[in-house]
Amino acid sequence: MKFLIFSDSEDSAKQVMTFLRGKGDFVLSSTERNESISKYGAQKVLLLEGKPDPKGIASILSDEFSNGGYDYILIASTVLGRDIASLFSGQKSLEVTPEIFDLKFNETTVITKRYGLGGKAVLEEESKSKVFTFLTGISEDVPGDGVSPKETRSIPEGAVKILEIEMKKEKEVNLEKANIIVAVGRGLGKKEGIQQIDPFVKAVKGEFAGSRPVCLDYHWLSEDRQVGYSGRTVKPKVYVALGISGQIQHIAGMRGSKVVVAVNKDKNAPIFQEADYGIVGDLYQVVPKIMSHL
Amino acid sequence: MPYDIIVLIKQIPDLELVKVDQTTGEPITEGVPFKLENLSKNSVEAAVRIKEKNGGKVSAILFGNERGTQVMKEAYAMGVDDGYLITGYTGNNPTLTAKVLAQKIKQLHYDLVVLGNQSADSMSGLLPGLVATELNVPLLPNVISIDTAEKIVKASTATEKEVIKLETSMPVVISVTQETNEPRFPPVLQIIKAGKKAINTEQSSIKLDSTFRTISRKAPKSDRKRLTFEDVDKGAQEVAKVLKEAM
Ligand SMILES: Cc1cc2nc3c(=O)[nH]c(=O)nc-3n(C[C@H](O)[C@H](O)[C@H](O)COP(=O)(O)OP(=O)(O)OC[C@H]3O[C@@H](n4cnc5c(N)ncnc54)[C@H](O)[C@@H]3O)c2cc1C
Ligand SMILES: Nc1ncnc2c1ncn2[C@@H]1O[C@H](COP(=O)(O)O)[C@@H](O)[C@H]1O
Repeated sequence: MKFLIFSDSEDSAKQVMTFLRGKGDFVLSSTERNESISKYGAQKVLLLEGKPDPKGIASILSDEFSNGGYDYILIASTVLGRDIASLFSGQKSLEVTPEIFDLKFNETTVITKRYGLGGKAVLEEESKSKVFTFLTGISEDVPGDGVSPKETRSIPEGAVKILEIEMKKEKEVNLEKANIIVAVGRGLGKKEGIQQIDPFVKAVKGEFAGSRPVCLDYHWLSEDRQVGYSGRTVKPKVYVALGISGQIQHIAGMRGSKVVVAVNKDKNAPIFQEADYGIVGDLYQVVPKIMSHL
Repeated sequence: MPYDIIVLIKQIPDLELVKVDQTTGEPITEGVPFKLENLSKNSVEAAVRIKEKNGGKVSAILFGNERGTQVMKEAYAMGVDDGYLITGYTGNNPTLTAKVLAQKIKQLHYDLVVLGNQSADSMSGLLPGLVATELNVPLLPNVISIDTAEKIVKASTATEKEVIKLETSMPVVISVTQETNEPRFPPVLQIIKAGKKAINTEQSSIKLDSTFRTISRKAPKSDRKRLTFEDVDKGAQEVAKVLKEAM
């Protein structure tokens, strides 16, 4: 079997190459420049140069897929990846299985797993799909042997003009390594709430995380601290959710936590169904109480 | 200048009301009321704001089933002018949905087609590219802001690492993110008016074979203790104990 991969995320690229190793040959295409991606056993690495236009990238992948004798294409489920996957499958009239977190091969079919109902269901399906988008966390990340040869391709420009690209600032946060994560939600109410909760986070030697509105909408925390379906997947020893309602898309990112603590002033908040210890109350009153018992 | 705007909206079961059948482990959706899908709401809001600023008309298309009229009325109350309900939806099949929606869109005049970048239930994120391909018009994906000037659209799009400024000319397909706007809660009067407004309904004629077969559909396991304290002092004590062990 032969696989074509696209990933603009270094982590996802490494995970999927680890996942595919031993199942067949694979070629990675990426806009990511980091040298380390060439140490995962890809037959070759196609470095895509130019502006990240999804349509342009889809057309490169389309040519490569037709001419390179591939059986399957796996595309990382990132913002750019999902657009590329849909443009690619539209162009080639190929069915896609989106957002998979597991994949097995039968004679002529594949068996995939993905979430349905916003994460309330796990769908196990059989199909003849050739195109997949995959979630981060599909596998561990283990480097392979040797160094893959590189080729470059330039991304053609299309009808959409890219006027300006501004990098968001990237700070290293390592939520994956934290023993205790204190996650705050919209219930925090104000940006200054972060400073008020900070002594608690320090006292338990934890890391701050947040729900999507807190990170993406209000920018009370940086985006790389967002936990959930479209953010990070974390598995700390204790996950403390403060003022988070517990929408299914948030739960999807913290379900693996060993112990879950929730503080919410609404006793019917769904987060209490996903918690081991729940306290009904105002987080600004509950947090100092917890601290006084530490 | 006034624009003809089409917004694509989806009906989904109210996910908060979906319970799990304890014997089969499967989520139960029968009897759960439908609502306007989250990102479809952001799309309606975006479309209505463009209309309010520039004039024009907003038409909504929903590929769903008979129960979708409720959802269309939600969209009317938010400011949609015309609604097309296409029945015959039998489940998530993005390729089919894109073909059905594109067929209807082509019958209408449009400058902008607005839809969500990733829906809250199936989360496939495939419709934007598929619809743009079917229509053969450019896609402005994952936008966080939209600006129009005559036949030109400028938008900012956000990926994990960067904010990108884009420009293209109409007609165009725009997919919006949750962060684009805060959807409005329509006033009661609007809701009453919306309830009386007619909906154009037709049956979908497109058939498409799919190779998909569902093997199982189970709720993910959750075996939390669910100890909920209304006595804050007692709860705080328990939680402090747990934290001290993990530190
Ligand atoms: C495709 C898709 C992907 C998504 N991905 C993610 C994701 O990765 N991560 C994510 O988090 N969300 C994600 N979402 C959004 C998700 O659906 C919810 O909108 C979001 O999680 C809600 O955030 P929240 O709990 O902070 O806010 P809310 O739902 O508004 O909840 C706030 C809670 O705070 C409580 N509260 C208020 N004041 C106080 C107080 N003083 N003390 C204690 N409690 C208080 C309230 O009772 C309420 O329960 C996604 C949605 C979609 C459609
Ligand atoms: N059945 C449908 N009818 C109309 N619009 C839809 C339908 N399904 C999805 N959409 C639109 O496409 C967006 C993305 O959905 P998806 O690609 O399924 O994640 C949604 O937010 C809607 O705006």
